[in-house]
Amino acid sequence: MIACVRTPHPSLVAAWLTSPGLRGRPLILGGRADERGVVAAASDEARLQGVAVGMSLNRAQQFAPEAIFEPVDEMATARVHQSLLATLHQLTPDVAVDEDPGCAFLGLDRLVLRWPDSSQLLAAIERAVAGALGVSPAIGVGSSMFVSKVAAGQAKPGSPVIVKAEATTMFLAQLPIEVLPLDDDVREYLELLGLRRIAGLQSISRAAFRRQFGVKLLDIYDLAFGIDRRRWRPFKHPVRIQVAEPLEPPIDNLEALQFIARALADRISADLLEHGLGTRGLRVTLGQEAAKPVIIEVRFAYPVTMAGELFDGIRPRLLRASISAPLERITLRAGRLEPAYVRQPGLLIRRDGFAESIADAIARLQEEYGPAMIQRAEVRADAAPLPDHRILWKPA
Amino acid sequence: MSDRLQQAVTVLQTRFGSAAPRPAAAPSPARASGIPELDALTGIGGWPVGRLSLLTGPRGSGKRTLAQRSLAAASREGSVAYIDLPGRLDPEFLSRLDTRLDRLLVVRPKSLRDAMASVRVLARAGVDFIEIDLPQGRSAGLDAELPHLLHRIAEAECTLLLIHAAESDDAIRYYASLSLSLQRSAWVLGDDGDLRGLQVDATVVKNRLAPPGRRASWVVPYPIA
Repeated sequence: MIACVRTPHPSLVAAWLTSPGLRGRPLILGGRADERGVVAAASDEARLQGVAVGMSLNRAQQFAPEAIFEPVDEMATARVHQSLLATLHQLTPDVAVDEDPGCAFLGLDRLVLRWPDSSQLLAAIERAVAGALGVSPAIGVGSSMFVSKVAAGQAKPGSPVIVKAEATTMFLAQLPIEVLPLDDDVREYLELLGLRRIAGLQSISRAAFRRQFGVKLLDIYDLAFGIDRRRWRPFKHPVRIQVAEPLEPPIDNLEALQFIARALADRISADLLEHGLGTRGLRVTLGQEAAKPVIIEVRFAYPVTMAGELFDGIRPRLLRASISAPLERITLRAGRLEPAYVRQPGLLIRRDGFAESIADAIARLQEEYGPAMIQRAEVRADAAPLPDHRILWKPA
Repeated sequence: MSDRLQQAVTVLQTRFGSAAPRPAAAPSPARASGIPELDALTGIGGWPVGRLSLLTGPRGSGKRTLAQRSLAAASREGSVAYIDLPGRLDPEFLSRLDTRLDRLLVVRPKSLRDAMASVRVLARAGVDFIEIDLPQGRSAGLDAELPHLLHRIAEAECTLLLIHAAESDDAIRYYASLSLSLQRSAWVLGDDGDLRGLQVDATVVKNRLAPPGRRASWVVPYPIA
């Protein structure tokens, strides 16, 4: 199951955190009332007076003359958004972002192991968000991102809406078609056909819908049954994992450099393990005495955590690096961080994991040494007279 | 082990060498070579798993034919890789030996260092059997790479077979758990006078897993097109 955690727009939350006195008052963000511009976000109090997002600021003032107009603090908004995601990330690494910055999705399947009681789990999520942002979120739970988001739209802080998988169709049936991401033409067309509620869409067959609207809109049809084919966009925690070591006195031999790099790989590995992360890219910066630093980029085909693997990636490139002066500093920075758990099935299920690992290893070697280094051979059945023609060499 | 027994073992080791009192350890896992005579010769039933084996002999002694037969047998069990430093592997020859070519990775590195890096990566990824074809005179630097490599091989339970010229370096011999020396004793000709194979004499020069010094002789047939 997937939970959608919905908070007021982060720019509103940022404004409330900056000026707590604005809470409970009609607040419109986007600029001053006399400026040309549109409403970026509006508090519930302003919305009740008819203000909508996208409306011009002048018009918004006509609807809500008492409202407070403020520009959007982009930096603070971004911090609030990151804070929401980071807070959820502390509960589970299965966090995904949505186009709506006030929404985030959580995969609940692993969390259920820790909190068998769903009400306690949702309360814990709500407490965590409220503690971090100072606002209570509305939480919806459903079998897909779409269903959970619709459920969150109906939920109130403190009373989440949970839509069980078997009740999804019935839950969606009662809703108007506006909850679906339709463009104006399609919505108008559906209304002309008398399809004003999702139940109407559910009553027609997929084939008939496809004939009428084409393949592109089949995703909309699937959403009417709660099937969401959108990609899960995982949140990447902005962790910075970097270690550096000044070399005093500067070193000029590769043996010592390898020894130090290995020690730094151990430290990077410890940091990665602490965060449960793996790295797909490592940057080694070798600071040279009176010369430009040498930068070595190492890429891994899968998220790597263990020191041995990290060092195996670094070592051949260190040995090939063109170092022109004694080294006075070495820095290792792990980038492209991903949850390390994605590799665990390979560790637990030896055979199944191995097939994938070999493909990864081939990709890594080809990236390092070129596609021609590792190949597969095929003997062609229609044997040509020359031996070279009988063998088909292909990059593995 | 009691103190008295330990004392007796120490006395024997002092007098006859550390290998004299040999503990009856669990048999080492081995990967069948596909040649029954060779499996019997090794004393453990094939090439040892997680260790380096060495196949040496002068040119024309059948070491590559024998190694490629082992590769073919291993490919029927799992994934295999051939580190082709001389760049002269013939897949057609391998296919005649019933090699599963879809499970074979042919690595053609530019240098020995690249070759060793490939072996490390592939072994850890789960390739079961890796052969390194090392041309004569290209073993410089191998002694520095081998300790690093053997650790990975042991961890990954991969079988590593190194094909090398007769006079292999001391370091390579030192790191190998099994060293087999081949000599051609005769060519085998068919009734029509065509070359059908060769008669090889094999000697176990070194064996850490079973008694060394065994000898055997058998015919290595060439695959018929």
